Amino acid sequence: MSTPSGETTYYGEVEQSERLGAWSGKSVPRKEDKRLLKGQGAFVDDLWMHRQGHVHFVRSPHAHARIISIEVSRAEAVPGVYATLTGEEVGELQQPFFQMAPEPAGLMRDYCMAVGKARYMGEPVAAVLAESAELARDAAALIEVVYEPLEVIVDGIATIERQAPVLHEEIGSNVAWHGVYDYGDVDWALEHADHVVRIDRLHFHRFSSTPLETTGALVNWDPGTGVVEFRSNNQMPMFAAMFIGPAIGLGIDHMQFSSQDIGGGFGIKITSYTYLTALALLSRKAGRPVKWSESRWEHLAASAHGNERTFLDIEVPVMSDGTILGFKVRAFDDAGAYLRYEPLGAVIWSQVVPGNYRFKHIRVDYTETLTNKCPVGPNRGYSRLQHLWLIERIVDIVAKELGFDRVALRKLNYVQPEEFPYETPNGCVYDSGDYPAMLEQALELIDYEGARARQLAGAGSGKRIGIGIGSTLDSGTNNFGQSRIINSALPFSGNGEAAVVRLDLYGEITVTIGTSPQGQGHETTAAQVTADILGCSPDLVHVVAGYNKAANTYVGFSGTYASQFAVTGLGAVMGAAERLRGEIVKVGACMLGAEESDIELADGFVRLAANPEAAIPFIGIAATVFANVAELPGELADSVTLNCRYVYRPPFTVPDHETKRGKLTLTYASQVHAAVVELDEETGQVTILDYAAVDECGRKVNPKIVEGQVHGATGHGIGAALYETFEYDSDGQLLNSTFGDYHAATSLDVPHIATGEVECPSPFTPNGAKGMGEGGGAPLSTIASAIEDALPPGAHVVYDSHNNAERVYELLRSAAAAGPRGVEVISR
Amino acid sequence: MLLAATEYVRPASLEEALAALGSGAGARVLAGGQTLINVLKHRAAAVELLVDVSRLQELRFIDVRADGSATIGAATTYAELERSAALRDALPIVCEVAAGTVDRQVRARGTIGGNACFADPASNYPPLLVALDASMEIAGPGGRRTVAAADFFRGLYRTAVEPGELLASITLPPLHAAGVGYRSLQLAADSWALARAVAWVRSAGGKVTAARVVLGCVAATPVRAAATEALLAGGPATAEAVATAAALAVEGLDPPADVHASSSYRREMAAVMAKRALLDAIGGAA
Amino acid sequence: MATEGAVHMVDLKVNGVAHSVAVPARRLLVHFIRETLGLRGTHIGCDTGNCGACSVICDGQLIKSCMMLAVGADGCEIETIESLGEGADGLDPIQEAFREHHGLQCGYCTPGIVLNAKTLLAENPHPTEAEIRRALKGNICRCTGYVNIVRSIEAAAEAQGSVRA
Repeated sequence: MSTPSGETTYYGEVEQSERLGAWSGKSVPRKEDKRLLKGQGAFVDDLWMHRQGHVHFVRSPHAHARIISIEVSRAEAVPGVYATLTGEEVGELQQPFFQMAPEPAGLMRDYCMAVGKARYMGEPVAAVLAESAELARDAAALIEVVYEPLEVIVDGIATIERQAPVLHEEIGSNVAWHGVYDYGDVDWALEHADHVVRIDRLHFHRFSSTPLETTGALVNWDPGTGVVEFRSNNQMPMFAAMFIGPAIGLGIDHMQFSSQDIGGGFGIKITSYTYLTALALLSRKAGRPVKWSESRWEHLAASAHGNERTFLDIEVPVMSDGTILGFKVRAFDDAGAYLRYEPLGAVIWSQVVPGNYRFKHIRVDYTETLTNKCPVGPNRGYSRLQHLWLIERIVDIVAKELGFDRVALRKLNYVQPEEFPYETPNGCVYDSGDYPAMLEQALELIDYEGARARQLAGAGSGKRIGIGIGSTLDSGTNNFGQSRIINSALPFSGNGEAAVVRLDLYGEITVTIGTSPQGQGHETTAAQVTADILGCSPDLVHVVAGYNKAANTYVGFSGTYASQFAVTGLGAVMGAAERLRGEIVKVGACMLGAEESDIELADGFVRLAANPEAAIPFIGIAATVFANVAELPGELADSVTLNCRYVYRPPFTVPDHETKRGKLTLTYASQVHAAVVELDEETGQVTILDYAAVDECGRKVNPKIVEGQVHGATGHGIGAALYETFEYDSDGQLLNSTFGDYHAATSLDVPHIATGEVECPSPFTPNGAKGMGEGGGAPLSTIASAIEDALPPGAHVVYDSHNNAERVYELLRSAAAAGPRGVEVISR
Repeated sequence: MLLAATEYVRPASLEEALAALGSGAGARVLAGGQTLINVLKHRAAAVELLVDVSRLQELRFIDVRADGSATIGAATTYAELERSAALRDALPIVCEVAAGTVDRQVRARGTIGGNACFADPASNYPPLLVALDASMEIAGPGGRRTVAAADFFRGLYRTAVEPGELLASITLPPLHAAGVGYRSLQLAADSWALARAVAWVRSAGGKVTAARVVLGCVAATPVRAAATEALLAGGPATAEAVATAAALAVEGLDPPADVHASSSYRREMAAVMAKRALLDAIGGAA
Repeated sequence: MATEGAVHMVDLKVNGVAHSVAVPARRLLVHFIRETLGLRGTHIGCDTGNCGACSVICDGQLIKSCMMLAVGADGCEIETIESLGEGADGLDPIQEAFREHHGLQCGYCTPGIVLNAKTLLAENPHPTEAEIRRALKGNICRCTGYVNIVRSIEAAAEAQGSVRA
């Protein structure tokens, strides 16, 4: 394998720990489970503060409207109503939120409530604080808002045409960002290929992971200390702090964040900083703590949606032997009414430019647009999901049009196992993997041969069987320097997570981390690696539950998002545990009168390797350092604290924003899925007969936890593929804003998922693990692939990531209709 | 999610319930609450007084008679219907529909009367009750009156029950060897229906002697597919005849479009469900 | 604005403890459990009775407590998640099975799911996978994809069976 630069190592020597093994790699039962099983979890709505008021937001029923007036006097007159807050006030009380977009989009004035204008159905325009939630709700009905409805734009492409209504006058258009990513020479490839496959349009739909617990917070702006306390389920609290602080004129040191248990996040609880800001302002105005629990319809209409992306004019150069040279596409990403975490999505997808494949020539003309819909947030699989789905569609469609077997075509074009570490056209480095082996396993798990036989046998029965394949990547540990590719003025780069591992006064091992888990088992896996390094049982390791800015250590990137904990979080824990280990060994050696090299840590003791009887429990070490200080030799007293902090910093440099190249993510977990589906010819209904997911994520710290993430990501993907979609009408009204109409997949919808695994340790991480958890959306490709395989010849290509029965019915009919198929082949 | 202020009363008898319902505007019957509570959560209707009839034994019973007919109290839950061995013997379709309703939590509380009186185009029972020629017994201040199921469903969320009245019970004639087919196309398993058809068929010697075909989901109220019934009657009980007749069922229909399905898809699926329900019914007829 | 309405006395047993409380007619049972009684293990996940996070046992049947008024529970016996397991630390066999088989991740749906399992196994001690999935239909989980929940319930059934044998 050669790389453009001839480099054979990418990050220098990455020291991998040799101490992991006793507990890491085992499916240790979770520490979190007891309290969660007993209903003793502390979720934000369980919290309470003395004198608190309850908040209800008044929201715009219009997708686009000028706010003419807001009359709150009737509400304020109700006994028990403590305060109100309107967008008009917010415009005075708050600086617009920092925007990551370059100008002109960066000129957007985004506030925590609608100021002057509402831009999506459900946008908060006012808030009421009252002594009870019922009273707040009742009083909110007394607030009178006069709107002047404006023209609405919901089409993510038509929104940039000249006649479309502009959402943010200060920007002048509805373009949030535009750039062209150009790698290799796709024009040359198109000219010299044996075939060019042209696909008119593919569409990735709008949906959300909808965590079961909605957004909520208890916020108190203490008038005495000037500190605002946020008890919330925001999953990236330091990011939130960086946006909230400048907006309300507070230093980060005057904001406290904490959470214990969070009922799912999946990226949707990142952009809630806007609501936290509103709650802070209301708390300050009212002089009381304010408590808010979002209802489900508010969550569906006005928290965050996943990015919706349309791909036009896709051209794919292919050689006769099936080698796909790359592709060219125009991509339009519909970000909704405000940017918030965007336009990072405009570059995040480029972590996986060629997907699982060796494509060399790729051009993506990428436009991010604004529409009168709920703002998007980094929904599970953020921005890569859409791009990876596009690539799998391309591979399947090329196979079908040119008569290649889909399995063989993939194997031919995959990055091969011996090519890792593999540098992609934009300089990202895929650390390790074995996609062909994963594909083999997935096909075996669904009994591919048997499924093919059933498919043939089923001809004419009224049921059509299809077999689908989907490959994906779960790139983990972002280099935030990629943000400079979309805006070179941004100050971010690299990544990091912090941890402290310490002994408490009686020798208890305590770990605090900067992460904010929502079910990923951080308390358990952090205990596992710490136990390995300190030579004890994980039962002796107390990992502080949840996130607490005052008690836990943190860095700017702290939080739980983007498939990185196993690398960044555990990397930090390992580093801190090693430092503590070193100190314990030092003290132990001194107390035992031995050399440090004579010391081992085992069974919770510090002892002489040669004579295990000579052992000191950790309480002895702690006693010496904390209580028996006068007997501690001077040099030890100066250098030992037993309170060890470590910041794991992945070895990134800043990407090149001119060429849009760089190492954008450290690790590349992958998944390959396969499915057998059955279509009812008369109705279009899809039944999944068999489903398999094979995952590769380097060394697993806790295999059961990993498998659980694979199941969960698959469940989300199947839900989105067949059942879940946000639909807006032309007036910008969200047509499905309850779980009655937005059908979250149930136990009857998600089939049994057979799982397989391949392990390719990452050479770039301290524990050989790769971040995982988002999954990469393989079900979306797999189900589209299976449906397409089941369709009769002459059918239109599967063009959308969402395929409910009606859409499948249309696809089935399209074969007989003999109309345009959405694809054309030009051959030399 | 938080209800508006309301009053509540739990009468100890049907008479007391009727008195409460007649006490003024804004009184509503509360049975299982599996629909009404949602309406109240979203403040989609103003209810001043909730009259809780869920525990009235006068409304909660299953009476299966020797001739195979049955009378079911309106406040009988889906779970009770599902569990009734006697009902399963006489009118198994009623139990099957109950068993397939939503989920076990809803089945523990939701009632057949609530389902019928909600009268949503996608409600499970209305088309079945019309197909089985059920009689709906309504109790009011003046006494009892009976309305045929075919006349009970008056419009979107509207039935023959007037203010001050309540549905007391539903009487079903015996099946007497008729076959019943009940087919739904749902947006997901045990979930909201996009199309539904119920067929009730008597056949003898390979011929259809009588048929009723009723469509749900296509209009505000259940629709009798009269043309389909006419074509089938006296004709052969074959798949071909059924297919031809079922296609007629949707002629002239203009079902509503919504986020779940277009009008044309609903229409075409109604015909498919009618065909399948008929085939089931013919297969089940003795 | 409408008045609060009359307040009703409600007498009910929750986890074996009798309560006699005045509640407004409009209060949902789930809010009564969480706010009035302070039992936080029963959760709220939606506003249309679809998600099942609020599931509790009422007179032996699994119901959604957000779909019932507190006044409607007068005279009833309610069991919430807090009734399972001995003392502050004990896990009952169903809870143990969930812990062993990783049947929970964020834990938000878990109380409803565990109570669902409890009532299912009481009615049907040897459920098939299909029966388990049908029983779980009214409880949404966004984290697990349901696979390990099914496994946990199968394991709990087996454990119960072997205890009986």
